[in-house]
Amino acid sequence: MKIFRFFISKIFLRKAILGVAMILLLFMANYTTFTAARSVLSTLQGYQETKYINQEGVYIANLDPHSPIDMDKVDRSGTQAVYDYLSSNFNYAFYTDGFMVSVPNADDMEISLGYMNEAYYTLNQFELLQGTDLDLDFDYQIGGEIPVLIGKGLSKTYPVGATITVEESALGRPLTLRVQGVLKSNANHSNFYALSSKTYYNFSILVPVNEEFINHANIDLQWNGLMDITILETTREEAAELGTVIEDNLGAKFNFFSQQENYDYFNEYYVHSLKVMAAITLVLLAIITCFSIWNGLVSVRLMLKDFTINLLIGLSYSKLRKVFYGYFGILSFINLMVISVFTASNRYGCWIRKDTTFVTYGLFGLIGMDWLALLVVVLLDAVIGIVIVESMLRKIKKVPISLGVLQ
Amino acid sequence: MKKSLFRLTDVFELCIAYIFCFSLNVLLDYAKTLDLDSYILKAFLKNFIDYQPLVVLLFTFIVIVFHYQMLHRKNAEIFCRILVGDTVFHITSRYVLDCITILVFACFPVALASVYLNVSLTGNFYLVPIFIIYILIGARQVRKKYENF
Repeated sequence: MKIFRFFISKIFLRKAILGVAMILLLFMANYTTFTAARSVLSTLQGYQETKYINQEGVYIANLDPHSPIDMDKVDRSGTQAVYDYLSSNFNYAFYTDGFMVSVPNADDMEISLGYMNEAYYTLNQFELLQGTDLDLDFDYQIGGEIPVLIGKGLSKTYPVGATITVEESALGRPLTLRVQGVLKSNANHSNFYALSSKTYYNFSILVPVNEEFINHANIDLQWNGLMDITILETTREEAAELGTVIEDNLGAKFNFFSQQENYDYFNEYYVHSLKVMAAITLVLLAIITCFSIWNGLVSVRLMLKDFTINLLIGLSYSKLRKVFYGYFGILSFINLMVISVFTASNRYGCWIRKDTTFVTYGLFGLIGMDWLALLVVVLLDAVIGIVIVESMLRKIKKVPISLGVLQ
Repeated sequence: MKKSLFRLTDVFELCIAYIFCFSLNVLLDYAKTLDLDSYILKAFLKNFIDYQPLVVLLFTFIVIVFHYQMLHRKNAEIFCRILVGDTVFHITSRYVLDCITILVFACFPVALASVYLNVSLTGNFYLVPIFIIYILIGARQVRKKYENF
């Protein structure tokens, strides 16, 4: 420890620019790795979540991006006709969210209402922190109390059994909701077409909707619900038929993708994107590692005299190696701290901005995905550390001690 | 380059450092112009594009390291040159001119790449004064050290 302290205070800190440069290079390597690792983890998490759609007989609606929509043609009777057709011919999973309402709560957040039907609820298997699962038949009177699931953030104000009155709802009148369960912390929903993009449920209310609810709902809920509607246990012909019904009633062209098309889409779109991201990350890391090695060798060049004098008076190469690893460990630790603080402050920013669908809970402000990405960064730092320290030692060993001292 | 402090490896190192900083800036500018379909890639690149000036500025630190190590390594050579009649003024002037020549030389391939990628050339302008400031600070350090000669 004494030797280590001596090296840090008398040798490394005397040429602090080199240390700062190493910190900055490591920071860029760590930031790149952290960003890439988090994107990959988030995408894989989303992929796992949406796996249920990759089943035989499942078709997902997708508004054709190349087909213009005439919103004047979209009216309440049109959407109702589509839902009537859906109800009588299909088993479908319905989900739509992002309906912001004001509900008093301890954190003064706006609340996002999400509406889901029984099939969606059954497929998604929400994990609860408190309370009980919703009854599967969703058989309730829309005029009475509706049992709901809420996010963890709301559970402080509304524990299980409490009632919430929502003034504005998709029914166009106040709703009385009864908390039946509290979703586990950071429960989220991934966007079908951007799996790394998440909507967190910490300040959301998930309202179960039955056929009666949808039939009485306003056009916003009915129209938005169609966007990601998932048709279960059907065939291509039946799905195409539904597409025709939608086009006839709403003038909007919807595509329905099958299991195989979904797999192809995932493979082509996500695997390709992840490959490109991995390539960019690897190239950047290779360049940064080269600069870091160069910086390490420059340090050896400038501190050679100090190192060789210490070797001359009895310091062994193995002890010098330990000193280098310790020094690199400190630099790496500083970087990890900076990245952790930076990420935590970004997450905290969502709380400040009252960004309902992005606020998260986690140890020191970081969620599980962030910790996993940090673990990847630690592993990368270990690899870069070994490469740099060993190249520095190789360089030192190449120079005879007497020559080094003379320099 | 006869009386220059630069050897071929030094020229190569400095050139690489300049080209890397300029290229990074050009590539980030280019990434901004891409119309990517992939949300994942967009979100990934956004993490760099949002902090572009900071990211590029952090990388310019390798140029500072180059000047720092160069002047430390060349201490003995500068001292010997002064002993045999050279002046600090001439040494620092030559150093500044050499650095600027390398800077201009490094700008060419990057400018060509910018034209090829259809990225605005002016995006890199802010880096030039930064590099010149680094050069002048380096030269000033030499003058300060040997001003009593």
